Formats: sequence, C-alpha cells, structure tokens
Amino acid sequence: METRQSARVTAAWPWISTVARIGLAAVFLVAGGLKVTDLAGSGRAVNAYRLMDFDTARVIGAIQPFVEIAIGLLLLVGIAVRLSAIIGAIVMVIYIAGIASVWARGLQIDCGCFSKGGSLAAGQNTQYGSDILRDVGFLVLASIVLIKPRTRFSLDGALLGER
Amino acid sequence: MSKTAARQRANARRIVEQQKAADRRRRVTLWTTVAVVLVLVIAGLVGWSQFSNQQSDTAAKLVTPSVAVDQGTAFKVGTGPVQVDLYEDFQCPICNEFEHSTGATVAQLVSQHKITVFYHPVSILDRESNGTEYSTRSAGAAAAAAEGGKFIEYHNALYQNQPAEGSDGLTNAQLIDLGKTVGLGTAFANAVNNKTYDAWAAKATDTFSARGYNGTPTILVAGKVVQGPNQTLPTTAVFTQAVTQAGA
Repeated sequence: METRQSARVTAAWPWISTVARIGLAAVFLVAGGLKVTDLAGSGRAVNAYRLMDFDTARVIGAIQPFVEIAIGLLLLVGIAVRLSAIIGAIVMVIYIAGIASVWARGLQIDCGCFSKGGSLAAGQNTQYGSDILRDVGFLVLASIVLIKPRTRFSLDGALLGER
Repeated sequence: MSKTAARQRANARRIVEQQKAADRRRRVTLWTTVAVVLVLVIAGLVGWSQFSNQQSDTAAKLVTPSVAVDQGTAFKVGTGPVQVDLYEDFQCPICNEFEHSTGATVAQLVSQHKITVFYHPVSILDRESNGTEYSTRSAGAAAAAAEGGKFIEYHNALYQNQPAEGSDGLTNAQLIDLGKTVGLGTAFANAVNNKTYDAWAAKATDTFSARGYNGTPTILVAGKVVQGPNQTLPTTAVFTQAVTQAGA
C-alpha cells in the first residue's frame, strides 16, 4: 500500500515541479514586463531603497527588468531548469533582503516589486510584511523546482530524450 | 552459445548504454548552462545599452530654460529670506492637495517677502497617463511658461485643471490653450509642440532622485524636509511654523 502511494507521489513530482516552474516564469515575466517600459522609473525605484548611490541604482534599475524577463523565458522553456531555479531563488532572496532592510530602516516606500515603486504618497500605508510573504511564496516555488528539477514540457527533457 | 555468455553480453550492452546516457546528460548540462549564462549576460547588455541610449538621448536634446536656477532644476518665485523648495509632479494628487490647502499661504508669504520659493517640477508619474507621459509634458510646458515669464501663473493653472491620475492627461493642445489663458503665446506653443523641454524634465527628475528624494510633493523649508506626523503631507500650520522657525 505505502509503496504504491510513494510511487504515486514520485510520479506526481514532475507535474508539481512543472506547475511551479511555469508559475515562477510568469512571475518573472510580469515583474520584468511591468518595468521594462519605464527604465528611468525602475532606476528611481531601486534608488528608493537607498542601498547604493543614484548612478549605480539607475544602472541596476535599467538592467533588472531585462534580466527578470530573461529568467522568466529560461524557466518557461525549461532550459537548465535547476540552474534557472537557483538563479530565480537568489533573486528572490535579494528582493526579500532589500524589503526587510527598508522595513528595518523605517523608510516609507512602495517595494516596486510589481510596480515602479518609489516613495509612497502621504497617507498610503506600506505593506512590507505582505510583500515579503509574497516573495517567500515565490521562493518556495523556486525551491520546489530546484529540488525536483525534472519537469514536463521542458527543453531539458527534450534534449535528454525523455518523454 | 551458453546462457551465461548471452547474459554477459546483455550486461555489457546495458553498461555501455548507461555510459552513453550519462555522457549525454553531461553534455546537455554543460551546454544548457552555457546557454543560460549567455542569455542572462545578453539581457544585462540589452538593459545597459537601452540605458545609455536614453542617457545620451536626454543629453543631446537637453535645453535648459535660461531662467532656471539651482543646477537648472528650479524656478524661483519671491525674494524673501527663507528658502522653500517644492518638488512637485503636475499629475500628483497629493501635490494638488497641498496646493489647495497651503498654496494661498505660500503666495501670501511670497508677497510679504518672507519666503523665496524654488519650484522644482519633476516627472515621476509618467506611467499613470496611459503612455502619454503627461508628467513629462506638463513639466516641460511649465519650463516653457517660465521661459515666457509666467511660471507661477501657469503652475497654478495646471493644478486647477489637473487631470485624474491614470487618465491620458491634458493633450498638448489643451496645455497650449491653458497657456493662452495666462498670456502665453506662440513661443510657448512651439515649445510644447516640439517637446523642447521634455529632456530637461527628465534631467530635473534625475537630479531630484540623486538628491535622495523619491516622492512628490517633497517640501523643504530652509533645506529641511517638512512633513506631518507619520510622513504625511504637512498641514498649513506645520508648514507656516517651519517657516517661522526658519526666521521669517
């Protein structure tokens, strides 16, 4: 009985990982897509974290949306899935650390996760807790994929002749 | 042929196949890793080149209004001893709120020669105008109005006619018509139509960010940021008190 159940779980993993992989791809594509049309705004959002000088922040802010889209596309096609998931996880850890540091310093900003970010208008509330929680959720998706990188509909699978 | 020999051959074949599969996996892993790194590097380079293109574009098109002060980012109104800096986006509702609540007091303090106001138009809300970049266009129009000697009049007209956040904003024709109501003519209209000062608006916004500000309105009295409790918009009383403390 138990062996049959564990066999069923084993068979389910590639599907669970596939859902996680596609979900994470969507997250990165949306996050990058929202920012890519306003690179100056993206730079200002990075600058709002006050972790680096403005000139560095605007370069990071300009590169970030393109890298996010690239990670999204890599995950979507499923190439070097484990490596892509590791990179996605590292990015999420950086974002979580950034939001936590802003929170700790008492700055009032919009995290810029799915927006251009920047300072909040007066009277608007910050939502660092839920922002972090959401990024932790994405980190969990990335972790599933990197622990069980075998997924359906992936370029990796096609190259290895799996079906 | 004995059964043992057949089994041995089958075993050997299996081992060879396993090695082939392992080889293939190694090769696939190597090349997909290379591909991933390449894709990320290319993405980074695309971002970098976009950024530097925009930078040189802004630099090439930059026309700074001759009347602008403070590194060419501000328009000065008044002659009083206390310096007030207002960083505003013409599309920002809270800026309009400040203009409604405290604008009259600011004007009064100016006319009493107590303060000098440095108005810094910035364009941080372009994304809120359906791609028409109203923040940039209105800031550019304000610069053109300053060049025509009507900055504060036009500034006030822009706030009185502020479009809703998330709408297309006023069209260039509407911006020009608004200019006519305060006495701005052809030179102003041409500047709006030719986007003469749009690059200037981008530059002024960069200077604003480089100074460490990231929200509008940012209000400074004698170089110090003035805010209400919990970083809210200061009331007129809070603002006036800051001016009094600064010695006006």
